[in-house]
Amino acid sequence: MNDIISLNLEDQIGLLETKKISSYELTTLYLENIKENKDLNCFISVNEDALEQAKVIDNLKDRQSPVQGIPIAHKDIFCVKGHRTTCGSKMLENFISPYSSTVFEKLENSKTIMLGKTNMDEFAMGSSNETSFFGKVKNPINPLKSPGGSSGGSAAAVKANLCAFATGTDTGGSIRQPASFCGITGIKPTYGRVSRWGMIAFASSLDQAGIFARSALDSAIALEIISGFDEKDSTSINSKVPNLKEETTSEMEHSIGVPMQIIEKIEDVNVKNNFLESIKILEKNGFKTKQIELPFLEYSLPSYYVIAPAECSANLSRYDGIKFGYRCDNPKDLEDLYVRTRSEGFGEEVKKRILIGTYCLSAGYFDAYYIKAQKIRAMITESFKNAFKDVSVIAMPTCSNGAFELGSIQDPVKMYEQDIYTIPANLAGLPAISIPSGNTEEMPLGLQFIGNHLEEGKILNISHQFQKLTDYHV
Amino acid sequence: MSEKTEYGDWEPVIGLEIHVQLSTESKIFSNAPTKFGIEQNSQASIIDLGLPGVLPVLNEKVIEMAVKFGCSINAEISNTAIFARKNYFYPDLPKGYQISQLDDPIVGQGSVEIECNKEKKLIGITRAHLEEDAGKSIHDKYDSSSAIDLNRAGTPLLEIVSEPDLRSAKEAVAYLKKIHSIVTFLDISDGDMSQGSLRCDANVSIRKKGESEYGCRTEIKNINSFKFVEKAINFEILRQIKIKNLNKEIEQETRLYDSQKNETRSMRSKEHANDYRYFPEPDLVPLQISNEYIENIRKSLPELPEQKISRFCSEYGLSIYESEILNSSKEMSNFFEEVAISVKDVKTAVKWILGDFSAILNKNNCLVEDSLISSSDLVDLLNCLNENKISGPAAKKVLEILWNEDLKVEEIIEKENLIQISDEDDISRIISEVISKNPKQLEQFKKGKEKLFGFFVGQVMKTTEGSADPKVVNKILKEKLNQ
Amino acid sequence: MKISKDTLKNISLLSKLEIEKSMKEKITKELESILLMVDQMNEVDTDHVKPMSHPLSKAQNLRKDLVSEDIERDEYIKNAPQSDDGYYLSPKVIDQK
Repeated sequence: MNDIISLNLEDQIGLLETKKISSYELTTLYLENIKENKDLNCFISVNEDALEQAKVIDNLKDRQSPVQGIPIAHKDIFCVKGHRTTCGSKMLENFISPYSSTVFEKLENSKTIMLGKTNMDEFAMGSSNETSFFGKVKNPINPLKSPGGSSGGSAAAVKANLCAFATGTDTGGSIRQPASFCGITGIKPTYGRVSRWGMIAFASSLDQAGIFARSALDSAIALEIISGFDEKDSTSINSKVPNLKEETTSEMEHSIGVPMQIIEKIEDVNVKNNFLESIKILEKNGFKTKQIELPFLEYSLPSYYVIAPAECSANLSRYDGIKFGYRCDNPKDLEDLYVRTRSEGFGEEVKKRILIGTYCLSAGYFDAYYIKAQKIRAMITESFKNAFKDVSVIAMPTCSNGAFELGSIQDPVKMYEQDIYTIPANLAGLPAISIPSGNTEEMPLGLQFIGNHLEEGKILNISHQFQKLTDYHV
Repeated sequence: MSEKTEYGDWEPVIGLEIHVQLSTESKIFSNAPTKFGIEQNSQASIIDLGLPGVLPVLNEKVIEMAVKFGCSINAEISNTAIFARKNYFYPDLPKGYQISQLDDPIVGQGSVEIECNKEKKLIGITRAHLEEDAGKSIHDKYDSSSAIDLNRAGTPLLEIVSEPDLRSAKEAVAYLKKIHSIVTFLDISDGDMSQGSLRCDANVSIRKKGESEYGCRTEIKNINSFKFVEKAINFEILRQIKIKNLNKEIEQETRLYDSQKNETRSMRSKEHANDYRYFPEPDLVPLQISNEYIENIRKSLPELPEQKISRFCSEYGLSIYESEILNSSKEMSNFFEEVAISVKDVKTAVKWILGDFSAILNKNNCLVEDSLISSSDLVDLLNCLNENKISGPAAKKVLEILWNEDLKVEEIIEKENLIQISDEDDISRIISEVISKNPKQLEQFKKGKEKLFGFFVGQVMKTTEGSADPKVVNKILKEKLNQ
Repeated sequence: MKISKDTLKNISLLSKLEIEKSMKEKITKELESILLMVDQMNEVDTDHVKPMSHPLSKAQNLRKDLVSEDIERDEYIKNAPQSDDGYYLSPKVIDQK
């Protein structure tokens, strides 16, 4: 029975459909495994009503959705009505949301069962899941190592078979990099493809919800459910969601763009070779590859580290101890309330980013930093646009290293450099996926595909095809 | 006039920032109601509260209202208005930023004409932009806490910024009143200063007459009536003059107007120059307002009062005085036009509407919109009068009856037997009869007693029960008596 | 880019944050190193480029001016650290805005 929870989504669905297992049983197995793996610290809260809900779903007369009865986990950044939604922060430690996010609602309406809310870097700021108020998450493959971040809890939960799939968010790589570190598949769709309603904001023009799963096909099934126009989100795209499962498994030809200037600069030989080998596998199996240029991509990191902190500095101003969230004890006046609430309620990384953001937006610096960064963003977007004239997908490594030891990176800039290959897709709003591509020093590495606007199907398809040729994801 | 002499050779330079609460049903970014709830926070939705994860969606009505305003001040309307975050901390600002506009406001440069001391002047409007209102804090309900009510948070505001073209407190009031009349006329706001749906801040500075550079300005806040606008600005101008006359400098600051003491005072706060760190609102994308949309609104705009006044003068040949009175309300001007379009002689209509018709309204304590005499009734009456069917006095009688009874003009004339005899032959015959019946008076008249003319007129009227056309009677009687 | 004591004070005030005295030096150094990385942007000539604040090129979707009656005041105020009689409470504000 235990093996069931390690099956991929398609197979679990099959068992439920044929009633070889009930949702109640499946949920029980997952809950037991969650208990057993408590020290991974993947979950901030576990849903006490999960078994009850599974019972109700088992009693439904017919199957109303493909993922009916499937137990899943939600990153604790998605508001769920009546449940604690903490965003990994002391600031929201006891916040019970009075409403639900669209992502949650769509999956709930599809009759999934929420096992719990997963751990994450505080307010989604981090690349190692070490900044959470609720403690670090451990990589299931090697508990001394980081699972990546900010969606470390969700990634680790999927890898450790604590759920069938999980939701995450990706602002600069927070789905793809943890997927890479944990050896699973993680996809971030086109900006605007999935509604941000109820998804606690970090950097509004970069944040996007996505999926962790055991395969590209699994993630396609889940992504299709959460995608779609939402009139409550003004940045939501009004475009029909294609049948992603079909697109993933269809016969599709690809022309894969490889930005060799970037690849050549990779310092870690293992990572470089791993990437080149993945490309060779694809070429050997008939896929066309093409060298492309992506000018200005090397400026993604500085541009991102102006824009994201700037937006977050404003998004986090609402945490003031008045309407919800943490409040300091005995404030002596209004200023004291604000300063102590926020200084005590936020962790160090969050405070740093707010300070940087405030600095970049302040009088005298706005043009040199914020405007400059937005210009570079425009140039990077243009680079991708041009590249996509010649190729259908772009391949890059997900990260320049495998999972590092928890606590081993103290220099903030070194931590930020975790995202150099993932950030460009966020700046340009493009869909991107990370799939397992082998190991380095016994920790997984990820292969990343970036697609053109609204072309999730293409990157899912090539990922699926790569996964048919390899078994890194198994 | 007196205020000018008080200023000596200092020239006040004033600009007004007017916040107009738009009278939409729902808020600008959420669908919470905008009416005042009795219960605190009962109209603050999760979006208005700024709960984690909420997002703004724009109300289409506010664009329509802003564009209406822009058209009425002949301003440039932006095709792609952008929203921006204005960042600062205050308990009644739930998100810690206000969604407002900085670059690319929805309404650009425009102007309005004001009249002050019988002089007309064009006042420039720099821009008008949309933003959300903040909530309210109540400081005297609890001893050591302020009570925050976020009902008002998210109500749509149109902020109208004037050029510093105003040169006196009186001009400022005239300008404020003008804006008030435009927004109420366009039905985009109820413009009630006492309720806060129209708020005004004044930027005041002074400079020596003839100078082109601006002096240091102060911002005056907390002015909540037309009367206080004038007082506050006057106080501030004089305060600044006093300082400059002592060769001291004006401090650039925000001052609050205290209406009880009639003075402005500096805000005590340790307010560091507030750096609002504006940046484009990432949760909203640029609007796309087509020229077609703008033109449709422009075409649908009701005519503004002063446009109507000029038009009445040129179209109907009225004097400005007459036109202004007929435009004293939208309803009166509409009533007049309904009459003017169908009546045979507009001048008669003007005389009667300003005269007897208004008198009847006043007597009955009635506004024209509640008049018991419809415009078509009045048209019938005036046409009968112009066609000489009835006499002037008879018409007055008809008017009275029209008000009190549910009859048509024709019916009343018949019922009351008011048809005027104006046929010259008929009248000639009657006059001849009267003259023959009164030989003594005829002889006296012929001997020179000219007063007796009136006697004969009276006799003719008596015979005809007042229904003889006096003009015709006079004419023919003259002829006959002088034979 | 060096961050002076005044600059740190200013941005702390604007963002209502206080860095503990013992941490000020470390944080300042870290902020400086981040800004140093960010300064790489100056290597790029961006004179003729229009800044991009949205990755989308869609027009703002609009909402009809209709009221929806689903406000649950008492539910929402449950999360407030201090409230009374339907009001959110803050320490007394001395100055009016």
